[in-house]
Amino acid sequence: MIIGLEHYLVLGALLFCIGFFIALSKKNAVGVLIGVELMLNAVNLTLIAFSRFGATEVALSTQVFVVFIIAVAAAEVAVGLALALVVYRNRQTISVDRTTLLKG
Amino acid sequence: MSDFGFHLAFWSLAAMTLGGASMIIISRNLIHAVIWLVMSMLGIAGLYLTLSADFIAVVQVLIYVGAISVLMLFAIMLTPRAERDNSQNIKTGGPAALVVLLVMISTLWVAIDTDWGAVREAALTDQARLIGESLIKHYILPFEIGAVLLTAALVGAIALARQDDEDAAVHAASLQAELDGEGSVDPVNVVDPPIAAEAPDSEAAS
Repeated sequence: MIIGLEHYLVLGALLFCIGFFIALSKKNAVGVLIGVELMLNAVNLTLIAFSRFGATEVALSTQVFVVFIIAVAAAEVAVGLALALVVYRNRQTISVDRTTLLKG
Repeated sequence: MSDFGFHLAFWSLAAMTLGGASMIIISRNLIHAVIWLVMSMLGIAGLYLTLSADFIAVVQVLIYVGAISVLMLFAIMLTPRAERDNSQNIKTGGPAALVVLLVMISTLWVAIDTDWGAVREAALTDQARLIGESLIKHYILPFEIGAVLLTAALVGAIALARQDDEDAAVHAASLQAELDGEGSVDPVNVVDPPIAAEAPDSEAAS
């Protein structure tokens, strides 16, 4: 059996689901961010797999797309962690179910 | 490329990636969770290499393994020890697991059942040059927007994380009080009201 596109797609889907579950179930805000990072990486892996098993002109655009996703993910994590620090400083917790300031 | 070596690389890297990701779910310490995340990211970088995307693999190691994990470790260490508990899960874990299971079933079904028409052409060579050229030629507008986004995120993160002068003085005073006291300060109590009470005294003392 040769390793084909489906192997990478299944791997990406499993990784996405693990990240999704972490993002949904963790109480700690940094834990939620870890889950989101895993989901982004799973999508990147899927895109790179399509880049390898697609036509040559598609391959380059896909890799550029992945570069943009990585840049946006880095920005997201920097702002997210700064927000976690601010929430911690004001509320003495970063547990996502104890920050209920917007609750009616 | 020998077939056996490729199989070995793929399956071991896949096990490393999924194993690291699963360990994040069950690890009780948040710092350990970040270390497992690093292992998972390294596995993904290796998988990029098996897909002959060398440039992306190097970028992955530089940004995720190098920068983002260190940023997360810093954020964890700037919050006290009590916040490093990763074992708490929300109470509605059952519905979350159900939703994830549905997503998994549907994505796996699509991934396996669809005829993707995969072709195996020769991989791109000289990828860094090609990506750089197309960033400057075709994707110049998104490239500039990305630059603005990164600058905005940088400034925003600094503006958010920066302490006001009063806060900084209180914080420094409480740190000093902690250093002056016995070495074994209970980390859970460091953040509680005693700080506000102790801070003026230690300022007066110093």
